[in-house]
Amino acid sequence: MSRITITVNGTPQTRDVEDRTLLVQFIREHLGLTGTHVGCDTTQCGACTIHLDGKAVKSCTVLAVAADGSQVTTIEGLAEGGKLHDVQQAFHEHHGLQCGYCTPGMIMASVDMIRRHDGMLDEHTVRHELEGNICRCTGYHNIVKAVLDAAEKHRAAHAVAAE
Amino acid sequence: MNSPLKTAAPDAIVHPLKQQKPESAELSPEMKLVQEALFKHVGKPIPRKEDGRLITGKGRFSDDFSLPGQTYAAIVRSPYPHARINGIDKTEALASPGVLLVLTGEDILADGIRDIPHNPVPSTNFDMKLRAKDGSHAFTGPHFLLPSDKARHVGEAVAIVVAETAAQAADGAEKVMVDWEELPFVTDTAKAAEPGAPTIWDEVPDNVFIDTTFGDVEGTNAAFAAADHVVKAEFHVHRVTGVTMEPRASLGSYDPETKRYTLYAGSGGAVRQKNELSKVLGIEPKDLRVLSFDVGGNFGTRNRVYVEFGLVLWASAKIGRPVKFTATRSESFLTDYQGRDLVSKVELAIRKDGKFLAMRSDNLSNVGGRAVSLSPLSKGSGLITGSYDIPYATLRARAVFSNTMCTQAYRSSGRPEVTFAIERMCELAADQLGFDKLELRRMNLIPPSAMPYTNAVGSVYDSGEYEKNMDRALEISEWATFDARKVEAARRGKLLGRGFANYVESSIGTPKERAEIEIKEDGNIEVIIGTQPSGQGHETSFAQVVADMLQVPVEKVWIVLGDTDIVSVGGGSHSGRSMRHAGTVMAMASADLLAEGRKRSAELLGSTPDQIDFEGGVFKLRNSNQTIDIFELGRRTRASHGPLRVIRDNEMHTPVFPNGAAICEVEIDRDTGHVQIVRYTTIDDVGRCINPLIVHGQTHGGIAQGVGQAMWELCAIDPVSGQPLAGSLMDYGMPRSDNMPSFNCEIAEVFSPTNPLGIKAGGEGGTTPALATVVNAVVDALSEFGVKDIQMPVTPANVWRAMNNGRKAS
Repeated sequence: MSRITITVNGTPQTRDVEDRTLLVQFIREHLGLTGTHVGCDTTQCGACTIHLDGKAVKSCTVLAVAADGSQVTTIEGLAEGGKLHDVQQAFHEHHGLQCGYCTPGMIMASVDMIRRHDGMLDEHTVRHELEGNICRCTGYHNIVKAVLDAAEKHRAAHAVAAE
Repeated sequence: MNSPLKTAAPDAIVHPLKQQKPESAELSPEMKLVQEALFKHVGKPIPRKEDGRLITGKGRFSDDFSLPGQTYAAIVRSPYPHARINGIDKTEALASPGVLLVLTGEDILADGIRDIPHNPVPSTNFDMKLRAKDGSHAFTGPHFLLPSDKARHVGEAVAIVVAETAAQAADGAEKVMVDWEELPFVTDTAKAAEPGAPTIWDEVPDNVFIDTTFGDVEGTNAAFAAADHVVKAEFHVHRVTGVTMEPRASLGSYDPETKRYTLYAGSGGAVRQKNELSKVLGIEPKDLRVLSFDVGGNFGTRNRVYVEFGLVLWASAKIGRPVKFTATRSESFLTDYQGRDLVSKVELAIRKDGKFLAMRSDNLSNVGGRAVSLSPLSKGSGLITGSYDIPYATLRARAVFSNTMCTQAYRSSGRPEVTFAIERMCELAADQLGFDKLELRRMNLIPPSAMPYTNAVGSVYDSGEYEKNMDRALEISEWATFDARKVEAARRGKLLGRGFANYVESSIGTPKERAEIEIKEDGNIEVIIGTQPSGQGHETSFAQVVADMLQVPVEKVWIVLGDTDIVSVGGGSHSGRSMRHAGTVMAMASADLLAEGRKRSAELLGSTPDQIDFEGGVFKLRNSNQTIDIFELGRRTRASHGPLRVIRDNEMHTPVFPNGAAICEVEIDRDTGHVQIVRYTTIDDVGRCINPLIVHGQTHGGIAQGVGQAMWELCAIDPVSGQPLAGSLMDYGMPRSDNMPSFNCEIAEVFSPTNPLGIKAGGEGGTTPALATVVNAVVDALSEFGVKDIQMPVTPANVWRAMNNGRKAS
């Protein structure tokens, strides 16, 4: 057992965990944040994607002890002050989700992608970069539309900020 | 014609569309309501109500639930495709840290735990009637939670281990010692039905437990004898699996005080789970509560009871603590109910001008180790002639046991298989006989004037404009300018090919549905219904229907699903049944509610119900300024009359036949055989479309699952060891964002005459023609290599092999 502290959605969380505990288990079972999902156990599906120190990672392939001292953002921490993040809003408006199981991971991966590219995204890039997040319901069509729309909003907001 | 319906159903059951309609028939209240409705919400692309919780991490999936004192289960599974269980030693497992309980098939028998009553043979009035060879009801293989005799497929559960933690349960499962005696096995569909194949069940020595012939045999033979051409082919639409992103999960608990069981388990319908699992446990249905809220994909795989659902309930009573089981992805690959696996031998008799005269089909469905559902064989059986007018047909429909995981309905159960056969036959016939492949189809299509059309095996297609679908699909896919695109692709070293497929499918499903509608005191309307969405957006589309029937804003209508203590009756969601069944019973319940409202308003306003009009959510005394709002009426009459609330049951057997066309363009790399879909176009006649945003989404997902099967997906089994080779997402090819195109989809709305709202079904139509249109496109692209046919999935290896075999042949 090890005592670790991880700051999740802005709140430091200290727990004693078995060394074999995965970060996703820490998030779901120790903290009860069940918005982060497990879909495959082999880092293939991306349902467990969270932000670890600002970068999108698959939390089923990180040991909780390895994340000791880190900052984690989960889907529950994405909306600020009750206002949905643009990516969440775009998934809603473009019907980018059906069963909703892959959605938290899909959104967390998309937020990171838009940030890394400063919103400069085209369909080919979005499709290439989302390859590690599997959705079985939507055929990706509306997910891609949603990400491009949110990227456009990101560009517009940053253009305004730069003026 | 010797219709199978004559032998299958008593004479009293006449298809509703074939009944004489009295001239002066009065409209039913629900028909009147629909005809007068303004449709302010129905038909609009309203974003979904359910999204709010799902995009913020507040969904309620099965594994999200936990109970105080909860324990964890792990399952011991058979490592062999076929092996006798000579004994199971629990000693070491019970001594393992944290292990609380180990149960086996012997304990099942000792406790009187019964087999799951799957009832696999579809039985609505218009389902194809599948029987054993001698005409009797078939032996389908009992499905106990744990077998005591032998394991019949790799992955079959043979023991459950319950421990304090999931890791301790998994450790304990490693220590259960099973004394296995390996037996000869067979996994291949065709081989399982051959003489001398290893026997899966002693009751059916030759493994073929269904063998029924449909259609007019003599008429078919005569038509074949008179035909100018006969085209023959054999197809295997291979085994795939659903890959719901949420692995199946269950949490069972038992309360000794109330003697009630509770199960949290996502499924295709909680009511079915309650009814069947209570029989397994030998308890009254009222003593089992099943909760199924957000479900992370179903596609048919979750419609039937899983053994683990019964096991956690049974184990929880044994140890007096809740028990949770969540499958790993590998367990899902091994033991989620799988899909397809149909071998068909097809012959088409054709006149020299191209007219289809008759068809013979011999369809063999691989159900796995026991029959959980014969829906795939049955659904396909009624549709072998596809969208075409083929006057005579004979179908031999057989089902066979094998040492594989059980199959079940999977996305458009049974229809992609037979659509693949007829649409490939169109291509092969055109190629062999020198017809244009589109013109050959066109001359044989069923015209709208023939509707309702009875096909040669007795299915009654309700409505549709098939040629119009075809023309529209060709137009929006820019079929006419393909040659220019082909030249351009060739410049880049790519082979461009195009594929076309028509389709017609059927939506039948469990016939019963109940709706309860109540005007709540807080100004909302609550609708309780027994369907079970897993992403189809019922909370939105159903609310749209009720909002328009009761003329209130959609924001005020709330759909309640998934808790059997609230939802008493319900057929669940499968076979594209939900919108049609729910829409119909909700329209009926709305009409009942308004009748009750008129009665109460008349009392309040001192008049009679026939003097009360209803408009904009307000009851109004005719020729007066006296009105009362529906919510106000509910509040004011609550004390005197009780809640303004209705319960309506409906039973509807008549199937509907969604239809359409799909066109695919593929680019194939000459050097690697890699296939990329570059264009994909569909037309889907879904009947009345309630929410186009949702229907398009369903179509997109349906396309992806059909394309997935055609291109990559395969539950491969090693023929030497019988071991499944696809055990994770690393060895099962999936549609991913970078290998799928964007789609060009249109909805056609030819209202079905079978139900008040004119609904057919959406979603399955994306899948049904996809296998055929992709393979047609690949064969077209490879035509210069002399390729005439190719086995799915069209992986680079298969394509490369076909190119090189073709080269040698030419």
